[in-house]
Amino acid sequence: MSLLSICESIQNTDLSVAIREGALYYPIIGGVHLLAIALFGGMLLAVDLRLLGWGMSSYPVSDVVGQLRAWKRFGFVVVVASGALLAWAEPLKLYHSKSFWIKMTLMLLVAVHALAFRQSVYANPAKLDEAPSMPATAKLAAALSLALWVGLVLSGRLIAFDA
Amino acid sequence: MSILPFLDWLGSSALASAMNGPEWAFPVVESFHFIGFALLIGTIALVDLRLLGGGMRRQSPAELAQSLKRWTWTGLALMLTTGPAMFSADPRVYYFNPSFRFKITCLLLAILYNFTIHRWAVKPETAPILGKLAAIVSLALWTTVLAAGRFIAFV
Repeated sequence: MSLLSICESIQNTDLSVAIREGALYYPIIGGVHLLAIALFGGMLLAVDLRLLGWGMSSYPVSDVVGQLRAWKRFGFVVVVASGALLAWAEPLKLYHSKSFWIKMTLMLLVAVHALAFRQSVYANPAKLDEAPSMPATAKLAAALSLALWVGLVLSGRLIAFDA
Repeated sequence: MSILPFLDWLGSSALASAMNGPEWAFPVVESFHFIGFALLIGTIALVDLRLLGGGMRRQSPAELAQSLKRWTWTGLALMLTTGPAMFSADPRVYYFNPSFRFKITCLLLAILYNFTIHRWAVKPETAPILGKLAAIVSLALWTTVLAAGRFIAFV
């Protein structure tokens, strides 16, 4: 079974038709997606700016990372879930959209990023507080995280404008 | 004086032709609009969540607001440059769009609120219950601005 035929079957599910053809579902889910971008993006920006030393520098890293973790995760779950529903509504369009595949590649890189920096940065923020200065690994993790997030927003927005 | 001549002037300005020029111009500016609101609303929401007792508990709301101020302003500056640029791409359509009008009304309220009541709410002498109330109103206002913005494309 090819990916294209899977997309066709999704396109024909009741849920897909309902989101696509209902007047309100799509904009409401899109609105939730935007709200989650603000929540997840805001938390991610705060954590990354702290790691880079560009904001909240008087606060311990462990406070910023630790206390925002729950909100960051909540925002991430909502943004992915609402995004999945939006994708479910028009899989055929997305299958042919270059921006969508760029976005999915970036999502994959987000997973790689999370795994790669988990031990050294995000899981042990207390260690970063003890370091005399912010380790280069932590700064690299923050810079890459910001770049990935900006890339996700850009590629996501461009999907709507792909022919 | 009618605002229509201004809208038409804006719609034929160099900014408008740039926005309507290459296909990628609008979505790229729109993406930075999104990044702007993540900064603006994200940092305000952090303070609101703190007022509600949901995070950054070891810092006072006033300290948190102070240390995030730079990024709140950066976000606001991004919004107020990318927003009008997007508006210039089709001024008459936006001007007469009910969702756009609702959004701008809420936005003005939200900005006004943020620099008056919200600023007062984070002060240490403000009663916690009033701080919480102010945080809920702030979150509601910004949520409405975002949702109304999303609906511009659908009404």
